[in-house]
Amino acid sequence: MTGRRVASTWAKAASRRCPAVEGGEGDRRRRPVRRRLLWSVAAVLVLAGLGAMLAAGVRSTAGQDPTAPEAAAGPATVVRDDPAPPLAGRTLAGDGFDAATLRGRVVLVNVWASWCGPCRQELPALALAERRWGGQGLSVVGIDMRDNPESARGLLAEVGARGLPTIVDPQGTLAVAWGARGVPETFVVDRSGRVRLWVRGAVDAAWLQRWIPPLLADRSAP
Amino acid sequence: MTGRFGTAVLGTGLVAAVASTLLWLRVALLGVPARPARVATGATLAAAGAAVVALEVALIGHDFGVRYVAENGARDVPLYFTVTSLWAALDGSLLLWLVILAGCALLLALRRDERAGLLRPWAMAVIGAVTVFFFALTFFAANPFTTVDPAPADGPGPNPLLRDHAAMGLHPPVLYAGYIGLVVPFGYALAALLAGRADRVSVAVLRRWTLVAWSLLTAGIVLGAWWSYAVLGWGGYWAWDPVENASLLPWLTATALLHTLLARRVAPGATGLSAWSVALAGSTFLLVLLGTFLTRSGAVASVHAFTASPLGPMLLGFVLLAAAAVLGLAVWRSGAFRSAAPGGPLLARDSALLGNAVLMVVLTAVVLTGTLFPLLAQAVRGSRAAVGPGYFNRAALPVALVVLLLMALAPFLRPDRAPDARALRLPAAAGLGTAAVVGLLSRPGLTALAAFALAASVLAGLIQSTVAKAAAAKPRAAAAKAAVAEAAAGKAAVATAAVTTAAVATAAAGNAGVANDAVATAGAEATGAWRRGARRLLASAGLLAHAGFAILAVGAAASSVYTVASERQVTVGQEVHAGGVTVRLLGVERGARGGGMVARLRLAVAGGGTMEPSLRYYPARDMTVSVPAIRSGPARDVYATVLGAAEDGTGATVRLAVNPLVGLVWLGGATAAAGGLLAAAGRVVARRRGVRPARVDRRPAAVGSA
Amino acid sequence: MRLRRLAALAVLALLLLAAGAAAWRSVRPQPETPATVAASLLCPSCQGETVAQSQSPMAAAMRDTIAEQLAAGRTGAQVRQWFVERYGPAVLAEPPPGGLGVVLWVVPGCVAAAALAFAIRARRRRAAPAARVTARTHPGEPRDGGRPAAAHGAGRVTARAHPGELREERFTARARPGGGGRRASRAWDAAAVGVVGLVAAVALASPSHRPQETPARPVADRAATLVTLARSLEDKGRYAEAAQIYRDALRERPDDRTTLRLAFTLLRSQRPAEAEKAVRRVLGNAPDDPNAVLLLGLAQRGQGSPAATATLRRFLTLAPDAPAAAEVRRMLRAD
Repeated sequence: MTGRRVASTWAKAASRRCPAVEGGEGDRRRRPVRRRLLWSVAAVLVLAGLGAMLAAGVRSTAGQDPTAPEAAAGPATVVRDDPAPPLAGRTLAGDGFDAATLRGRVVLVNVWASWCGPCRQELPALALAERRWGGQGLSVVGIDMRDNPESARGLLAEVGARGLPTIVDPQGTLAVAWGARGVPETFVVDRSGRVRLWVRGAVDAAWLQRWIPPLLADRSAP
Repeated sequence: MTGRFGTAVLGTGLVAAVASTLLWLRVALLGVPARPARVATGATLAAAGAAVVALEVALIGHDFGVRYVAENGARDVPLYFTVTSLWAALDGSLLLWLVILAGCALLLALRRDERAGLLRPWAMAVIGAVTVFFFALTFFAANPFTTVDPAPADGPGPNPLLRDHAAMGLHPPVLYAGYIGLVVPFGYALAALLAGRADRVSVAVLRRWTLVAWSLLTAGIVLGAWWSYAVLGWGGYWAWDPVENASLLPWLTATALLHTLLARRVAPGATGLSAWSVALAGSTFLLVLLGTFLTRSGAVASVHAFTASPLGPMLLGFVLLAAAAVLGLAVWRSGAFRSAAPGGPLLARDSALLGNAVLMVVLTAVVLTGTLFPLLAQAVRGSRAAVGPGYFNRAALPVALVVLLLMALAPFLRPDRAPDARALRLPAAAGLGTAAVVGLLSRPGLTALAAFALAASVLAGLIQSTVAKAAAAKPRAAAAKAAVAEAAAGKAAVATAAVTTAAVATAAAGNAGVANDAVATAGAEATGAWRRGARRLLASAGLLAHAGFAILAVGAAASSVYTVASERQVTVGQEVHAGGVTVRLLGVERGARGGGMVARLRLAVAGGGTMEPSLRYYPARDMTVSVPAIRSGPARDVYATVLGAAEDGTGATVRLAVNPLVGLVWLGGATAAAGGLLAAAGRVVARRRGVRPARVDRRPAAVGSA
Repeated sequence: MRLRRLAALAVLALLLLAAGAAAWRSVRPQPETPATVAASLLCPSCQGETVAQSQSPMAAAMRDTIAEQLAAGRTGAQVRQWFVERYGPAVLAEPPPGGLGVVLWVVPGCVAAAALAFAIRARRRRAAPAARVTARTHPGEPRDGGRPAAAHGAGRVTARAHPGELREERFTARARPGGGGRRASRAWDAAAVGVVGLVAAVALASPSHRPQETPARPVADRAATLVTLARSLEDKGRYAEAAQIYRDALRERPDDRTTLRLAFTLLRSQRPAEAEKAVRRVLGNAPDDPNAVLLLGLAQRGQGSPAATATLRRFLTLAPDAPAAAEVRRMLRAD
């Protein structure tokens, strides 16, 4: 029955979460104790780190509600200051066009397409803006991205924005060169030829009223 | 009414699961008979099954007063997809999860005591604890049966992606079965840690469950890849997406686990589990839980993920708790399962199996790090970073190639000696020859070239060894016969190499006919060899899985390297060309279909036939789905998708791709899964015939002392 | 025989040479294709999809841009840099080397080293005698009041186990008859019944059992689905189809707001007479609804009716601050 005695020794030791130290084997068993401690600490650390990381991931997704309607927030406007990429090509009307000729004016570049729903609401506001501020130095230029020119012309006629100069961008490369991420998107270039505003989503009259006059008033550059 | 019943049944299941956990613990601690515990386990399954039936009844009966039906049912969805919409969304899929989990538990509980191993009560208690958690999760946080008042007249229907493809009825249940079957090895591993030892019967049970779950998981993953290829319409089948990775992670560790279990079986004098097996069995199910968390919490950005849900924190808590339990037990028992050292030379069987486990662990680390990195970046820098396919390909593929190399050696490994160099001549020649021919005809890149070469030598080696074994097994096998067998094996191996080469080369050249013949020849050759070695084959069916992976490697490499695609905006009458295939746009039909709008293209394929890819818009979910049209052939698939269609139906943007040998991916995956199942069946057959599997004692090994 | 071996060796050597040449050909750096570059960039408007995968128009435009730039002779790295300048570093599908991205290589490296170390150590330490630590249950003393004393109960060690002599019953043996064992077992059972009862009570009391307390989540019914569909058609400018679907929705569930949308859509598809009919239905219920009045005025104006001006003026008095008011005033001035 020595086995039983040893067994209960071990059991008591185990219940204290500490391996038994028995007779001659003591020296051989002490090292595992330290190593075991080391391993436990390492395991706890790794687990805690992993847990914190995953928890952060869960929190970050919980913060953003994917169902929130984008329209409620209005167009997302980013203020920046980068040199404007070149903007040249053939327009829907069939003429050549180069935005370089517009130097010294504030240029609103709008990426749109006839297959894009919100563009339909946005284009009349843009046409109105050009009529309203054109005299003070605003030009509105469209980029018609990956679209059928007939449908695009039809849309412009329908919303009463036939005069809007729009560059045809059949492959969308021009929109990509401007750094557009979706449609519609708007870039506003100041008089010195730098992109100052970047807007995702459709702009409306209120937005234009808020952002355009200050840029028109800024005559620091020719 | 159905809703009330469902909720009640779920509550009953929760109580039954708690009871069965406690009863099995009682069996484990006090050694009482297991009958009450069995009854409780059965009651748990009955409750889970009743919940599934209730939800199906509600779905089929369009009972929109039940929340899940209101959210995922619709009157215009065909019956098949109404049935499958049980697992089309989070809450319902948890019910499927529960029923499979309870089913696994009952299967294990019903085994006779002497066939279940001494660890069974502990294992059942562990499985019971997992069941309790998932019942609680369903009942308290994701009850699909809550009532909706007033009940709507119709619902939006299941996610559009999940109501178009027949694989929807097969992929999730198979994948879940594989996923959840791994709870049994987990239970036994934890039981071994709790008890501090293991017996042979327990290890045999563990091995069999691992084998079956692994096979199902393999099948599930391949079905998922096929579904992704046929539904998502981007032309590929594996994108290293977090959700795909979540299913791959436990598969990798389960593969390693299988191999470590094999190693222990052949080691003479070994009694139980190695530390490797315990660690791998534990981490496999932890990875299953982690994957469940990742895909169901919305923590990672993925096209397949379920939407963000409140389950995230609960699942995370459970994952961490389980991980802490496993780690704690492992540290506490760190001395109990010394891995019996594989002796002998480096290329003896046990060392190779251990090497495989190391490689699989490294692969797991690569995939896990890549999957979790966006979360790490989020936590550290506050901004998302992405890890795309590039990283996984660069980090994981070289390791996978080394695995293929080990596979090529596998048939020639011996327990105590290095493989006979002369036996390796043919596989080596096959590999080198394939590399030479493919590499000189085309330039697939080093990784793909290595994959072709290694796959060819794996196949050649398997055929050589199978033919040799079959010949040796014949009673009248004399020396002459052996020589003939040797020659036949050589011929077969050379043929395999030639077939691989030819298939790849013709794929590269875009010539279907020759490849078809070559594949057919290979098939005939292989069938002949197999018939002769059928009996042997059943015994070593695991090697069939190796053949499957070699085939899969060829398909994956060829389809990633030789795919040709082109994208064009065309008007009606214009053509698109890619890889020698020409299609002409005949017309665009627009119409409404099942609560959505559809633009269907009719494309005439030069040489006969039409293809009809379509673009569907589902306003109820604001979702656009591009459904590809695929013409599959043995040598290549022609794959057409619509990227956009003009409003007036005069034109469209079409993507046309020619994917060579992509069918080999499905074939290889199916072969691998079949190999696993055959190996499991082989054991059963052996037992029925009274032939016990090698070295599994009838009498369980000793425990404790008198 | 010797000749055959020599021949075999020669064949192998030849194959090795050929394979080496093939590998050499493959090693030479290959130009990046549009597909490989597209796979290394993330589509900025998608959920974790690369430009190569995504079917959004912007991703298609980006693929065309990549192809164009590669055709113009730029390298893959230059193209990627070009995209980073425009879309920021988040456009890269892989974190750039250095910085946090090191983790991607360090962690698997560490794991590989650890796994190898374990394997090698295991090889070194030749087969130790079968695990000395064996265990069994002792029915006697569940230590902590009947709670599952799993770990402790199982943690016995028998130092010198003699496998041959031992029987399996030891592991799951019946409770030994005897006072201590029976008492402990009873305590355990009582505690277990308590736990089950507690769970049952919690399950019964849980809110999900009482439907009236869970607020019904708004769900899309058929009419709502139809309205969504019509709205999206309307956004796309397909007014005629939208109007038809609005009519379906109204048959499903009559609703003034939907009727007004129908009227607006009819107006936009140049069918003012039908629009007026629809608006009049609403005005029958709510004669002073400004939106209805506005639509009526616009419909009358579309038909050239002289009543239009009066109706529109009435709208202005009803809702002088409405968003449409400015436009209406302008319209009236222009008339």
